[in-house]
Amino acid sequence: MIDFIQNTLDGLSVGASYALLGVGFTLIFGVLRRANLSYGPAIMLGVYLATWASFSSKGLLLLAAIAVAGTVLAGAYVERLCFAPHRRGPAVAAMAASFAVWMQLEELATLLLPRHLYSFPALYDGGPLAFGPFTARVESLVTLAAAVTVCAVVWKLLYATRFGIAVRAVIDDGRAAELSGINVGALSLRVFALASAIGGLTGFLIVSSHEQVTPMLGMWSTLKGMLAMMLGGLGSLPGAVAGGLALGLIEAHSQWYLGPQLRDFTAYLLLFALLAARPPWMNTRSAY
Amino acid sequence: MLHVQDLVTAYGKIEALKGVSLEVAQGSITCLLGPNGAGKTTLMMTIAGILKPKAGSVSFFDEKLSGLPPHAIVARGIALVPENRLVFPSMTVLENLHAGAYQRRDGVAEDIERLLRRFPRLKERAAQAAGTLSGGEQQMLAVARALMSRPKLLLMDEPSLGLAPLVVEEIFAIIGELHRDGTAIFLVEQNAHMALKVAQRFYLMEQGRVSFSGDPGSLAEDEVIRRAYLGSSRA
Repeated sequence: MIDFIQNTLDGLSVGASYALLGVGFTLIFGVLRRANLSYGPAIMLGVYLATWASFSSKGLLLLAAIAVAGTVLAGAYVERLCFAPHRRGPAVAAMAASFAVWMQLEELATLLLPRHLYSFPALYDGGPLAFGPFTARVESLVTLAAAVTVCAVVWKLLYATRFGIAVRAVIDDGRAAELSGINVGALSLRVFALASAIGGLTGFLIVSSHEQVTPMLGMWSTLKGMLAMMLGGLGSLPGAVAGGLALGLIEAHSQWYLGPQLRDFTAYLLLFALLAARPPWMNTRSAY
Repeated sequence: MLHVQDLVTAYGKIEALKGVSLEVAQGSITCLLGPNGAGKTTLMMTIAGILKPKAGSVSFFDEKLSGLPPHAIVARGIALVPENRLVFPSMTVLENLHAGAYQRRDGVAEDIERLLRRFPRLKERAAQAAGTLSGGEQQMLAVARALMSRPKLLLMDEPSLGLAPLVVEEIFAIIGELHRDGTAIFLVEQNAHMALKVAQRFYLMEQGRVSFSGDPGSLAEDEVIRRAYLGSSRA
C-alpha cells in the first residue's frame, strides 16, 4: 500500500510536467486545429540555449528566462513559417511543414551543443523530503506548484480577458471569429507565444530536475504533450491537465508493477484502447 | 455605399460568381434572391473578405475592399450575419456579444445593455452558453453580435432559415428597426415574400450572375418567387 501511494505521488509529480506540455499543445491545437509537431523541438532549442548559457552563469532564474525566451522565439518562427501560410490550406500541409522545421530546430540545437549529454544546474541540491514513510523530491513539488500556477494563469487569461474571449471564439468557430473582427493570424501568433512560454518553462523544470540535457528532449516533449492532449480528449484544456496527470500515474504504476520496459508500452496501449473505444469525453470539438 | 463590380469568385476552377455587379445604397434595405447554388452565399463571403475574388472589385464608400482580410472589413463598418448563424456555442451570450465588439474598447458595456433591451430573450439567457439557445434565439444573438461592431452596413445571409414563422416575423421586425435607425442592410433571403415587403431594391441571382434587378414593384411577386426558387432557365 505504501508503494502504491508513493508511486501515485511520483506519478502525479511527473504528470504535472506532462500536464503543462499538454496545455501548451492543446492551446495551439485548439486555435489552429492543427498538430504542431515542432512544439517539442522549439522547447529543446530554448533549453539548449539555457544550457549553453549555464556554462557561464548558474543563476536559475536567468536560465529559466533564457529557456522561456528561446522557446518563444522558436515558437514564433514555427508559427510564421509553418502555420501562418497554411491557415486556410489543408491541415496536413502545416503538419508536414512543422515536421520539416522540427529537423531544422534539432540541427540548430545540436550545432550549438554537439555532445549527446550535457549536465544542467540542479533546481535543488538537497535530498528528498520525508513525510512519514513517503518521500517527495523538492524538484517535483516545485514542478507541481508551477503546474498549478500556470493552469490558474491560463484559466484567468482565457476567462477574464479580452484576449481570452478572442481565443475561445477562434476555438469555437474560426470563421465566425474572423467575421466578428478578430484578426486570427495575429491572435495565433500570440497563442503560440503563450504556449511556447509554458513549454519553455516546463522544459527548464524538466532538465533542471534531471540535471541533464539530451537531444531526445524535443521528440519527448512533443510526444508527451500530444499524449496528454489525446488522453484528455483533443482540445480541452482541463482534459489536457487530466490527461497529463493520468499519463504520469500510468507510467509510474506500470513501471513499478510491470517493469520499466513496459512503461511506455502500457501508456500507448491505453491510448490505443481509448481511441478505439472513444468514450464520450473524447470529442474533437469539446468545449472549455 | 457598397459597390460590387464584375466580381468573379472561384472554388478551384469552378466559378461560383461569374461577374456580379450590384449596388447597395446608403440607409437602404437591398435584397438578394435566387435559387440554391446561385452564388448568394459566395457573394456575401466575398464581400466579407472570407473568400478572395479572382477578378472584379468590391468598394465601400469609394474605398476598395477586395483583398482585405475579414477583420479589416469589419473595421471599415461591414458586418456579416453568416448563414446558419455560427454563434460561439461554448461561450455565454454575453461573451458572444463581447467577441462581436472585439475591435472596440469604448462604449461596449452601453451597447450590450442597449442590445439586451432590444432582445429581451437574450437578456434572460445572458449567462447561458449560446449552444443551448433555440434556433431563433441563436439568430437573434448572431444579429446582436454583428451589431456590436457598430456596422454601417449589415449583411445578412438567410436569417430566417429553419425558423418558425413567428420567429421569422420577429427577425423581420428587427430588420425594419435597424433600417429606421439608419443602418443599411443587404439581405439574402429565401423567403421572397417577406423580403420584398421590406426591401427598397432587389436583385435576382441565377447561376453566378445577376439576372434581374429592380424595385419590389417592378416584377410581379409570383414571377419573382418562381425565378427565385426555380431559376428562369428551368421554368
